[in-house]
Formats: sequence, C-alpha cells, structure tokens
Amino acid sequence: MANLVIENVKKRYGQTEILKGINISIEAGEFLILVGPSGCGKSTLMNSIAGLEDVSEGRILIDNNDVTYSSPKDRDIAMVFQSYALYPNMTVAQNISFGLEMRKVPKDEREAEVQRVADMLQIGHLLKRKPAQLSGGQRQRVAMGRALARRPKMYLFDEPLSNLDAKLRVEMRTEIKKLHQKLGTTIVYVTHDQIEAMTLADRIAVMKDGEVQQLGTPQEIYDNPTNLFVAGFMGSPAMNFVPAKVVEQNGAFALELQASKPTVVPFPDQESLKPYLGKEILLGLRPEMITEPQPHKEGAEFVVTADIDVEVTEPMGADTMVLTRISEAEVNCRCNPVYPTKAGETIAMMLDTSKAVAFDKDTGERIDR
Amino acid sequence: MNKNAANAGSGATQAGRPARLSLADWMPKIVMAPTVVAAVVCIYGYMIWTAVLSFTNSRMLPSYKFVGLEQYERLFMNDRWIVALTNLGVFGGLFILICLFLGVMLAIFLDQKIRAEGAIRTIYLYPMAISFIVTGTAWKWLLNPTNGIEKMMIELGFEDFRFNWLSDPDMVVYCLVIAAVWQASGFVMALFLAGLRGVDGEMIKAAQLDGAGIITTYRRIILPSLKPVFFSALVILSHIAIKSFDLVAALTNGGPGYSSDLPANFMYAHAFTRSQIGLGAASAMVMLGCVLAILIPYLYSELRGERHE
Repeated sequence: MANLVIENVKKRYGQTEILKGINISIEAGEFLILVGPSGCGKSTLMNSIAGLEDVSEGRILIDNNDVTYSSPKDRDIAMVFQSYALYPNMTVAQNISFGLEMRKVPKDEREAEVQRVADMLQIGHLLKRKPAQLSGGQRQRVAMGRALARRPKMYLFDEPLSNLDAKLRVEMRTEIKKLHQKLGTTIVYVTHDQIEAMTLADRIAVMKDGEVQQLGTPQEIYDNPTNLFVAGFMGSPAMNFVPAKVVEQNGAFALELQASKPTVVPFPDQESLKPYLGKEILLGLRPEMITEPQPHKEGAEFVVTADIDVEVTEPMGADTMVLTRISEAEVNCRCNPVYPTKAGETIAMMLDTSKAVAFDKDTGERIDR
Repeated sequence: MNKNAANAGSGATQAGRPARLSLADWMPKIVMAPTVVAAVVCIYGYMIWTAVLSFTNSRMLPSYKFVGLEQYERLFMNDRWIVALTNLGVFGGLFILICLFLGVMLAIFLDQKIRAEGAIRTIYLYPMAISFIVTGTAWKWLLNPTNGIEKMMIELGFEDFRFNWLSDPDMVVYCLVIAAVWQASGFVMALFLAGLRGVDGEMIKAAQLDGAGIITTYRRIILPSLKPVFFSALVILSHIAIKSFDLVAALTNGGPGYSSDLPANFMYAHAFTRSQIGLGAASAMVMLGCVLAILIPYLYSELRGERHE
C-alpha cells in the first residue's frame, strides 16, 4: 500500500509536448483511473509512473519516496498490460514466479506464492499450461496473477480489458473491483472506456491533450464536470448540450429554449447567469433529466413540462431513448418504455433542470457552481 | 406450391452443376500438370535412377549389372570419401554454430534502435546475393599467402606474420568456414531480426518490471520465444553445408591434394570425371540420406505444429 504523488510532470518528444504538467495525488489504497480519448497521454503517464519512460520535468513519489529517476524494478510496482505480455515459452506457473525468481526468492517460497495467487484467481488447473493454450479470459487472469505474486506497493493496469469480448469484460471488471476490495492496494488503471472508469474508480482523472481536465470521484465528475469536454466524455448516452438564451422572467434569470414551441426553464445558480443576460450559453442536461411527465415531480421547483417533436425512438428494454431536437441541438431523452412515443409525433416531456449545468459557449468552461 | 417451385429450382441447379463444375474442377489440374510432370521426372525420376545406379557396377556409362551394396562398401573404404565426410562434419558444425552465433548477435545489436539501420542491414545481407563461386574466388585472393592478407601484413611491417591456412592441408577446411560464414551470417541475421521485430514490446516492459536485466531478458524470454526461427535457420544452414560444392570448387578446388573435399565434390569428381558412376551415385545417396535426416524431423514438427494451432 502506498500513496502516489505526481507533481508537475511534463514529457516532451522533441518539440511535441505529450504531458503538459500533470498534478495528481492519491491516497494509499485508492483506485485511480486515467481516462481519456486516444492520444491524450494517459498511457505515457502510466509508463512514466512505471519508470518505462523518463519524464522531462517534474517529480513522481510512490510511498513518499521520490522515484522519478529510479529504474522500473526498484519502484516495487507491477503492471498488467493490454496484450497481457505473457512469456510464451514459460508455463503459467513460471510466468507468475518469474518476477520472484529475478528477486532471488527461494524456490519453496516461490511455489507457495504461485499456489496462493492461483487459488485467489482460480487458475490452479492452468499452472502447467503455456500461454498459447489459454483463452483470452484465462490469459487475463494469468497476467493479473503475475502482478499479484510479488505483492507490490502498487498495481498499474494498462487497458487490461480492451482485448476481451463484451460479456467477459463486464465479468472481469467486477473481478478487478472485488480484488481491489480484498487487497486494498493502490491501483492506477488506464482506460478509454468511460463506463469502466465510472464503475471501478475511487477517483477519476479525465485527460485530454496531455492535461488533466478534472480529477474527482466518479459522482463528482458525472454531476459536476468542469468543462464541456469532461461533460461530453463521461456518461452514456452523453450529456445533451442545448444552446439557450439567458432571459429575465419574473425577477429571476431563466433560460429560453426552442422545443416544439419556445419554452423557458429555470436554472439553480442565478448569480452565474447574470453576466450572460441576453446572450446564449450551452445548457448541459443529462438524458435522464428529460423524461415523460412524472406525477410526483409535478410542480417541483426546477421542473417544466414542454412539448417536443420525436425524431427517433430507441427502445433499450429498461428505458426508451427518445431523440429530439431542442434549439437545433440533437437531444437524447430517457423515457419509461410504457410512455407512448412514436417518431414524428409531438409529445409532452418533463425537463428537470435542478442538476443542469451551464457552459460558456466560446470557451467551453463551466459557468455555474 | 411454393415448395414445389423451390424443389424444381434446386433440381435444375443440380442438373446444371456437374457440367460447369467439371471444367472448373479440371482447370487447376491442367495448369499444374507441366510442373508436376517436370518435378516427378526431373527430381524424383532422376533420384530413383541414381538410387538404382548406386547398386550397379556402372563405371563410365550406366550399366545395370546389380552388385548389391558393393559400391557402398567401396565408398566407405575410400580414404578420400572419409576425408570428405570428416570435412563436412567440421565445416558443417563450425559453419552452423558460428553463423547462428554471429547472426543472433548482429540481429540483437541491430535491434537497439540504431541509426542507419537500413544501410547496415543491407551491407550485412548483401553477401547472400552473391554466388558462392564469387565468394570463393574473392576469398581465394584474400587468403592466398603470396598476395592476400599475409602479404598485406608483411608489407605493414609484421615480417613474421604467417597466414597460410589455404595451403595447409590441416587448416584448409577452416578457410571454407570463414568464407561460408561471411556469406551466410547476414542471412541468419535477417531471419532473427524479423523474429525480434515480432516480439511484443509489452513483453519486454513486463520483464523489465519483473526485474530482469537486458541480458536475462534476451536469454530467458526473447530468444526462447524465437525457437521456430532457430529451427528454420538450422535447417537452411545445414542444407547449405551439405550441398556445398561451388565454394570448394572456387576457393580450394579440393586441395591441397584432396584435403578440402566435401561430399558433393567427391560425388562430382567420381561420377563425371573419374568414370566411377556407381561410386558417385552411392555417395549421392549418402548425401540424400543426410539431407532427409535433417528435413524429416523438421517437416514433422512443422506439420504437427500447424495441427496444434
């Protein structure tokens, strides 16, 4: 167990700056997820933590020791790779014990450790096989076993699930979460899958273009994104961004939208809208905040019912996604499947802006708090 | 009714099919026929003929008076053949080992992300593009004591320098090794370089994190994963060694005396210049046996490997 501090880490390849000053700090035992689109620098950051790549500037501390210039083997970390990176000429048992062997652990201790790890991951029956004779999920387990065997201070996972099929991915996701709960070791996990990030993390660092856009708990990131990028990246289907004009109505600031007819919706953070009076902003509204009219919400403070034109409906079983257009922007709404929705019709929908967020149209930055 | 129509339709296709199929069926066979005939006659036909001749008392012209294993007995009583076989052992063993070692080392060094890799690779690979005759002739000049390396060193002031392996019956076989290694190690390098390029980069990172140094990583992880490449290189090199003829012909012409003969030169000399076709055929059959001894396990493991996948 160890805490991790990343201080102003920069990485340059010639002229191009891959990491532009990363600051992340997590407590011992936390599950940190680095998430972002490809090319955002998350894998580079991961490799820098592992010591596989040197940083150009800044410091990395593991367990309060400065390891910025230590070699990978001296950092006491283990890594699970996307391709699993198992040694093809060794059996599963040899794969798991190789790290121990390199650290000159006696043979009987190594064997005991292999057995412990194999029991934990239920791969005891595979120990004598070669990696080529394993399925994808089994290889994934062995790769995790190899990381577990050394009992390092920290685990690094580099997109470990992206080579698995959808069903197995969900299963292994739960396994990893269980494992973390059982071991309580610090984990840094890189993924581009925002669902993985939401489900696994204690804390998420959303990255883009070599910068951390936001560092926070999954719920913070979901409810309070700092900018348009984070808001659009996290959540599936993505948050809706509706251009809205700030107007004054009955002594309060409100937002005017163009649904089927012009509609005015209230907004919680009044102060923030003041400088934007008469201008357009982007209103961020999660799909689950636009629903069929729900009687228990009728008359609540930030709830407005409006008519919308249905363009497409996508039944998903538990919900039906209704695609419509508000103020020229495509908008996803999440409806109860029993509510009659049909493409081409105009239906009543309930807009709940109590958790809505607002962004500056030009900078993409959040304007309310 | 619909069902009937469907049946009628399928019946028509079935009736129409054989005629069209037969042409499509025959086409590959027709196209392949000349090659197959040529291979059967020229390779396997003559192979069998040689085998038959090796059991006869043929001398200048083929005769069909069978004498059993007499030619083989004569062959293994023949001192020149024993020299040729011993030479093959020394030459083949050293040639394969040194080539493998140099090839692997060159490939590893070349795989360290160095500059001008393309140019260097071409330089090392280029000897393979030259025929053994040219290699032999060039090395004959280099190794010749009166005008090669020895002369150069003496002119440089090392008056006592001696490098006369080419004229020393005990050492001449090593001259063959030098020239053949020069020619083939670049090729082995190319084989291994391709193998090294196929190694998963994440695997090397994993080894690094596991605490393995660079030498351990190569010895324990990377090179063992290149086992198939080792095997291919071994097979290719050993058949080059066994059928070596032109190198000897150009570099030493079997001399001094017959001290640098290889089996192929022995076979050629007896079958075509010394009117001993029977003896030559017997030696050819022994060589074929050597090649098969290497090739059959190789093919066996290759085919079995495919079934495993």
